[in-house]
Amino acid sequence: MVLEAILIGLLGAIGILDGRIFGQMMFERPLVMGPLVGLVLGDFTTGIIVGATLELVWMGIVGVGSATPPDVTTGGILGTAFAIMTDSGAEVALALAVPIAILAQSLGILVRTINTSFIHRADKYAEEGNTKKIVLMHWLAVGLFFLNGFVPNFLGILLGSEVVEGIVNAIPQTITEGLQVAANMFPALGFALLLQMTFTKKLSPFYFLGFGLAVFFGLDITPVAVIGAIIAVVIYQLMPTDKDKEVLL
Amino acid sequence: MEEKQINHQMDAGQDELVDKKTLRRVFWRSFHLQGSFNYERMQALGYLYAMIPILLKLYPKKSDLAAALKRHLEFFNTTPAVSSFVMGISTAMEEKNAREKGVFDSSSINAIKVALMGPLAGIGDSFFWGTFRVIAAGIGISLASQGNILGAILFLVLYNIPHFFLRYKGTFWGYNQGTTLLSSLYEKGNMEKVSYCAGILGLIVIGAMTGTLVQFTTPLEISIQGAAVNLQDTLDQIMPNILPLGLTLLLFLLLKKGIKVNYIMIGIIAVGILGKWAGIL
Repeated sequence: MVLEAILIGLLGAIGILDGRIFGQMMFERPLVMGPLVGLVLGDFTTGIIVGATLELVWMGIVGVGSATPPDVTTGGILGTAFAIMTDSGAEVALALAVPIAILAQSLGILVRTINTSFIHRADKYAEEGNTKKIVLMHWLAVGLFFLNGFVPNFLGILLGSEVVEGIVNAIPQTITEGLQVAANMFPALGFALLLQMTFTKKLSPFYFLGFGLAVFFGLDITPVAVIGAIIAVVIYQLMPTDKDKEVLL
Repeated sequence: MEEKQINHQMDAGQDELVDKKTLRRVFWRSFHLQGSFNYERMQALGYLYAMIPILLKLYPKKSDLAAALKRHLEFFNTTPAVSSFVMGISTAMEEKNAREKGVFDSSSINAIKVALMGPLAGIGDSFFWGTFRVIAAGIGISLASQGNILGAILFLVLYNIPHFFLRYKGTFWGYNQGTTLLSSLYEKGNMEKVSYCAGILGLIVIGAMTGTLVQFTTPLEISIQGAAVNLQDTLDQIMPNILPLGLTLLLFLLLKKGIKVNYIMIGIIAVGILGKWAGIL
């Protein structure tokens, strides 16, 4: 179990560092972390499926602007891991992942607060023209983020599995079934969050167009995306033309 | 006024002090943007980290270097994927500052950074978070929910192709013609056109996902004059998936009212359990 805990801890660190020093390549998302957790714990397929479920739930949760969102990396990793370790489905994963993500969020907030001291010291080194020390300040903060990812996931696996198993077995059926209902509703929250970013009165018909294409014609996401891209390009061309338009492309 | 200065620099862009190799280092270091993220100045230290190779090259004199280092420790926050574009612009301006010492207004370097980060974050968020990621995840999830590992792989590939392309090219666009490009986009309103059309694509895809990925139904039966009527069947006749659509729009309204995401998450769990217990969900 210690080896597994270390490996899962490292996955957590990679996930958190993805948005920090790997340019946010999306390794942090449950859709990617789920299968990796499955690989470590010996149940690849469950990892993939639970990862997909949690991704859907948290689709809209992403660090936009200055806010620190719920930690979907740690929530996703531990949720998936506990679902595999207790042999239960995605609804248990969700029930555990949501509070874990909120708890881990406060850890992330703590790190971002402590990091303020590093930039103050960097100010001093900038004054001296000492780039080596500035780089060191940067890496110290990276180190904190590493711990931010490693520690909760490592401890979660090491200490949590038996506790979690006990809790899972004690949950009454109405609650697990209710959690399944909640799990099905959660993606709506994700889409509502995405709408917050893009929805305006003027653009609203396009949202209902996408909905209609899927519901009435039974189209998958890929064909809808292709149709959407064509519509977007056509509308771009129809908008008032000017000769400098090519500059962007 | 600043724009005029910069345009002039672009015209006089002979004897460049910064070579392609150093710019490529800025590209790679731009991945570090949020490595030392903090609440006071957000991505500032990461931004400086990416600029250090340039500044070391441009300012051999310690006092000049110190001034430049301090300059890039000011507040900065934007969508990480578009940051390399701003770094390219900063590079071009620092180069001009180094070449025309004393003549160039070095405070304009930060002025441009600050002016750019807001609009670029708007465009970057709607492209990368609202469009590329949503489409890639939508396709990835539909495969992965059947237990297919291709879901995760496709998600990463579909997202990262435009990500790497724009991040890499952005560095050089920013350096070579960043400010002229941006000012022409702003003047002609092309920037708004592009983000408007990205919004269209994003909304169509989000609409389709609302229709396919939210499974929200009711088992409730109402008895009318002794005959049991299944409420879900009736709703389906009005419009398929009307409940998921209604739920999404309701949550959207709650978010607009300023209710916190965490509260809504807990609320959903409570509604799910209570609804199941009462037999209406």
